[in-house]
Amino acid sequence: MSSSTSNSNVTDNLAMTTTNDSSSRKIYAKAVLAIGLCLAIAMAAVNSYLDSLGVRQQGVLGRVTEAREALPKIIAEPNELVMFFGSSMTRAGFSPRKFDRDLKAQGKSITSFNYGFGGLNPYFQDFLSRRIADEFTQNDRRLKLAMIEFNPFQTTQTRWNGAKPVIDSFLTLLASDKELLEVTKQDLTRGIHLFNVKYIRGNISAEIITSFFGRELFPPQRHQTFKDDEETIAEQRRLGNLLNEKFEQEYPDFDNAAWSYDWRGAGTIPEERSKETLTLFEQYYAVTQTDAAMKNDRLSRIRSADIEDLNFEPLLVESFINIVKNFQRFSDNVEVIMLPQNTKWITNTAAGKKRLADVVKQIEQATGIKIADHQHIEEITPAMYRDTTHLSRYRGDIAYTDYLVKQYGDVL
Amino acid sequence: MIFNTPIFFWFFSIFILFYGFAFLKQTPRVYLILVGSLVFYGAWNYSFIPLLVGSGIADYFIAQAIFNAKTKQAKKRWLMASLAINLGLLGLFKYADFALQSVADLLAVLGYQASIPTLSWVLPVGISFYTFQSLSYTIDVYRGDMKPRKGLVEFVAALSFFPQLVAGPILRAKQILPQMHAIALPKWDAIKHGFLLITVGLIKKTGADLLAIPAQKAFEAKEAISTLELWTGVLAFAGQIYGDFSGYTDMAIGIALILGFSIPLNFRVPYFAISPVDFWRRWHISLSSWLRDYLYISLGGNRNNNRTRNVFLTMLLGGLWHGAAWTFIAWGAFHGAIITATHYLANLPIFSRFNQSSAKVVTFVKWAITFYLVLIGWVFFRATDIGSAFDIILNLHLLTNTVAAGSHAMTIFVMTAVWVLLVHVMDFYVIKGADKLENKPWLFWLLMALGQALCLFIGEPSNEFIYFQF
Repeated sequence: MSSSTSNSNVTDNLAMTTTNDSSSRKIYAKAVLAIGLCLAIAMAAVNSYLDSLGVRQQGVLGRVTEAREALPKIIAEPNELVMFFGSSMTRAGFSPRKFDRDLKAQGKSITSFNYGFGGLNPYFQDFLSRRIADEFTQNDRRLKLAMIEFNPFQTTQTRWNGAKPVIDSFLTLLASDKELLEVTKQDLTRGIHLFNVKYIRGNISAEIITSFFGRELFPPQRHQTFKDDEETIAEQRRLGNLLNEKFEQEYPDFDNAAWSYDWRGAGTIPEERSKETLTLFEQYYAVTQTDAAMKNDRLSRIRSADIEDLNFEPLLVESFINIVKNFQRFSDNVEVIMLPQNTKWITNTAAGKKRLADVVKQIEQATGIKIADHQHIEEITPAMYRDTTHLSRYRGDIAYTDYLVKQYGDVL
Repeated sequence: MIFNTPIFFWFFSIFILFYGFAFLKQTPRVYLILVGSLVFYGAWNYSFIPLLVGSGIADYFIAQAIFNAKTKQAKKRWLMASLAINLGLLGLFKYADFALQSVADLLAVLGYQASIPTLSWVLPVGISFYTFQSLSYTIDVYRGDMKPRKGLVEFVAALSFFPQLVAGPILRAKQILPQMHAIALPKWDAIKHGFLLITVGLIKKTGADLLAIPAQKAFEAKEAISTLELWTGVLAFAGQIYGDFSGYTDMAIGIALILGFSIPLNFRVPYFAISPVDFWRRWHISLSSWLRDYLYISLGGNRNNNRTRNVFLTMLLGGLWHGAAWTFIAWGAFHGAIITATHYLANLPIFSRFNQSSAKVVTFVKWAITFYLVLIGWVFFRATDIGSAFDIILNLHLLTNTVAAGSHAMTIFVMTAVWVLLVHVMDFYVIKGADKLENKPWLFWLLMALGQALCLFIGEPSNEFIYFQF
């Protein structure tokens, strides 16, 4: 090929004028082999790289995977079972080990689990709850109590729009082949794409990586509108590092589980920690819950989840109703709960309150369950939060678990 | 079906098995291309297949009628029929609602509130491309540049040839029909070059999807952003549309090569252009040359002192071809204006010396001015409406814009600029020296595997190609 020719001329020079059966088969066999090998090597390289990064074991994906893998073990538990299913607020706000211990003191043998997942929304949770229901019903096992968190700001249009890059990864992780086949019947292109993500890409879609790189390369404006002074920032960093060191000292055998069966899917408990660590926690919360940090956190929640105005996404509301119905299939008691709200920082607008009331009514009508509104319970004070939404470790989670024991101990 | 999706991969794999191993004779291969192309097209919306096939059949017979007509008037009547069918369908599907809405808006300005119904029809994908392709056939036969072809299936297969069906390049009848008439077996070099182009196209598309992020931030900003971020967004869109569109056509050319077809280049490092005229010799070459040969020349070309009018009209219609919106018309008008200004300045003695100078600094100045103008043009193309476009252009030049840039703004600007440059360097190398790489098999296949891995790793198949809407 001449290096000075245009592509057009190049391609003109590349065609043969004659063709016969054997030469066609030969050239295409060579092409299929070379290109196929090239693509296979490329795919293997991608999967090896993803495994080396540990993306399948990390973050939301890792926690969901581990929680799903724990289901057979949960079903095999001899005690009555309780599951609290919800968002990162559930993850941060419920201590199963404390819950079980307090009920044991009342003579009740309960094993409870924290199925709170950050980064999911009701659409994904619907699929996850179907898998949980499948596992329980196939094994003829029931939950004594299912507590399901209804998280208003997880159900907004803003939240849904933000979740779009991860839809395919989560869907292939959580949906059954039968469900994916249904998608394929309706949309062949999408169906094949989803099967490809599930079986060839190991649940990691290209979109999820692109959006990750997109955020890394072109980060959204950080809107750190309010700034802490340098001294405070340095202290936050120092205490954070100290807490990491303490964790490594006190849990030398911790295997980096995103969902630890030993801890029932929740975090550590105060009884396991040294006095020094607990004091460090107090100091850490004091320097991280500054006025500036809380204001920034509130702004980020408004931008990422429409937390005050609550413009709901109908699809997510429908998905939430499905979650409740899925749990009703295999639970003796189902409670739908709105978790405590940090009212010092988060105040719903009048329109937001109206929309929330309408959605609550819709859910109650569709499920036949009255939603337990814990948003403003007096047992939880603004001092018990680590930020504008999540209850803090060793304060908020313990206080709220105590409250749950009081509320639902009787049905167990 | 989009080239960078699994469904296309499986479709093409199955197609190649039939094409390379089972359907080895000319006629079965033509039928296979036709069926494959219709499956490919039908994956979007099978209800538009009759439209594609119908316009092909109509033009096939009209071309014969033109050729057989005894008088010039009769030939012209048949040509008008072809124009009416093709442009009528295009107008109905693409421009009817826009025209009706514009009339309603005009009446509203004049104080009349008219409730004008709209069609709200779905735009058949690729209609702008295959309409122009089909028209080139009847016009060429009318002008006597080619004789009508025998073989309806061959003609419809060529018109619907799937690699370039939905986003070009726009092939002329005389480019594709002879190849469809005698389908060649590609040499090994062609297959390698085809795979290189597919990989390059995928890399470009991957980059384009990433550049969409800062571009969207600038063009759809919900709050004030800094001048630097605005420039970054405009530059990112320039990179995005180039990567997206040229990436698609690279893949189209590559896929066609593997099938034994030669499709001409559609882009020739356009952002290296040193004048607006030069830009249009490098950007979407198949469209600009089509407009030149079939519209500009039909309008009279350079004759009768009407060059300025004809250039401007051609660019205006070229803009309108891209979509039924005032922003596209403004983009076309803007390019028409800068091209006519270029012609005018070239005739002024003060500029002719500058224009003819080969000094590097002069070339750089010409490139900088051209690239600046192209970027300004993209603002019209990408903006949601004319008002927003002017606001953005104003803010790009307002040194008083004191909104603080994000901490990464300069880094993002540099990264965007580097990517746009890198893609052009890659293109330049593919055009000028791909054979050197293709003759080093180990290096070639290693780079191809790396390139494919990069695109499999990152990518956004859900992001449709920008040019699918045209």
